[in-house]
Amino acid sequence: MFIDIDCSQMKKYNQNAYGDYFVSKRYPDEARLVAVLSDGLGSGIKANILSCMTATMLLQFISNDQIPIRQAAEIVMNSLPVCKVRHISYSTFSAIDCYDDGNAKIVEEGNPEFIWIRDGEVMTPPYETIQSKTFKNRRMKVYKIKLKLGDRLIFCSDGVTQSGLGGGRLKLGLRREGLIVLLKDKLAENPEVSSSEFANYIVNQARNIETDRKPKDDISACVLYFREPREALIFTGPPFHQQKDKEYAQMFQNFKGKKAICGGTTANLISRELSIPIRMDSTISVGKLPAISYMDGVDLVTEGILTLTKTLEYLENGTLDIDNAAGKLVKFLLDSDCIHFMVGAKLNQAHYDPALPIEIEIRKNIIKKMANVLQDKYFKKVDVQYM
Amino acid sequence: MDKKISVKVCLGTTCFVMGSANLQELIDTVPAKYGDKVDVSGVPCLGLCSIDWEFSKAPYVKVDDEVIKEATVEKVLKAIDEKLK
Repeated sequence: MFIDIDCSQMKKYNQNAYGDYFVSKRYPDEARLVAVLSDGLGSGIKANILSCMTATMLLQFISNDQIPIRQAAEIVMNSLPVCKVRHISYSTFSAIDCYDDGNAKIVEEGNPEFIWIRDGEVMTPPYETIQSKTFKNRRMKVYKIKLKLGDRLIFCSDGVTQSGLGGGRLKLGLRREGLIVLLKDKLAENPEVSSSEFANYIVNQARNIETDRKPKDDISACVLYFREPREALIFTGPPFHQQKDKEYAQMFQNFKGKKAICGGTTANLISRELSIPIRMDSTISVGKLPAISYMDGVDLVTEGILTLTKTLEYLENGTLDIDNAAGKLVKFLLDSDCIHFMVGAKLNQAHYDPALPIEIEIRKNIIKKMANVLQDKYFKKVDVQYM
Repeated sequence: MDKKISVKVCLGTTCFVMGSANLQELIDTVPAKYGDKVDVSGVPCLGLCSIDWEFSKAPYVKVDDEVIKEATVEKVLKAIDEKLK
């Protein structure tokens, strides 16, 4: 199973920093994902610092595998300072440690209870309560659950469940019940909705029921969706040993999923080995990049280094809607969950001629950076094979 | 003349940065000037810079079998005119 995870956030009205903090990390080797959502006391910079510290420390504890999630959360719960003014703890949190096989452990302290939806129904998992040894008013809930294909988990900060509080229609706010109705309606309308769209939807709905659409608290929603992975392969650069061209071309052909080729020489190589003709677009360049070309059985064919460099730039800056070859490659990547790169190690000496008007990066380096961005910023599962 | 002249503009990385990006106007001017006698298209890579890298004369354009080095719109049009003579 692939875990599609995303978080959407909105700041409290008139604040310039987020008071909730979300971090997540994927471990492709262990088929594991760890995520933490923390809500800092108050709002603005102070809350931002508190929630950021709580979330990153928890993630660090859990992910280094030194401390199991339950103990890690307990340590944090027992040691979170108390606010002098309000006499409550500095931050609240939810943390999840889950595996691709569906096994998951979840701990919550202070945040609204998470919502688990299977086949349109809300599940009620059993949990264990752990009382803090140092603070009487703190207790955390520990869940151990087994997820199935199609399940969804929704975590949110109290900014969601308390949205609309004191307003005209919902005097007590949206609350958990109201949120569940919203979630079910959305899923009935679009059962396959992605985590990113779902999280945005929740946050926007919460904002919409606030008086004058001005959030009275920071609003965050984190969604996990367990589904079949969408696989993609990017073949870029000719293999170091030319005699292996055929072998790698065969691997490209046999791959089940979406395929892209980045590189003129690479496209020629695949075309030659697999006898697939290449058709060019009727333009030469779009947006300062060479136009794409077409091959049967390949979803996207672009030029190599220039397009990859631009794609990396778009991914880093979050520019996602550009109509050129790099924009198409960004869309190709973001529409996939598991991305495999086959990277040829052969260099074209001509690219390193100092007479060239721009500096051309080494393919390997770009792909390395791209893999990191895709993993860390877009939560994709990435593997890179050099050839 | 029956056979069409084929003009292939290399859009590989080297050629593109060395100026084939500026050959876009061939796509528009050639059909206007020569009608359907000439066929212009881009190609992913002609593979010439990697062979000739020490003395790279990118951008390359191929007019039928003739390779035009350091191609410009003028050079390409001249080569087409020669072929049509």
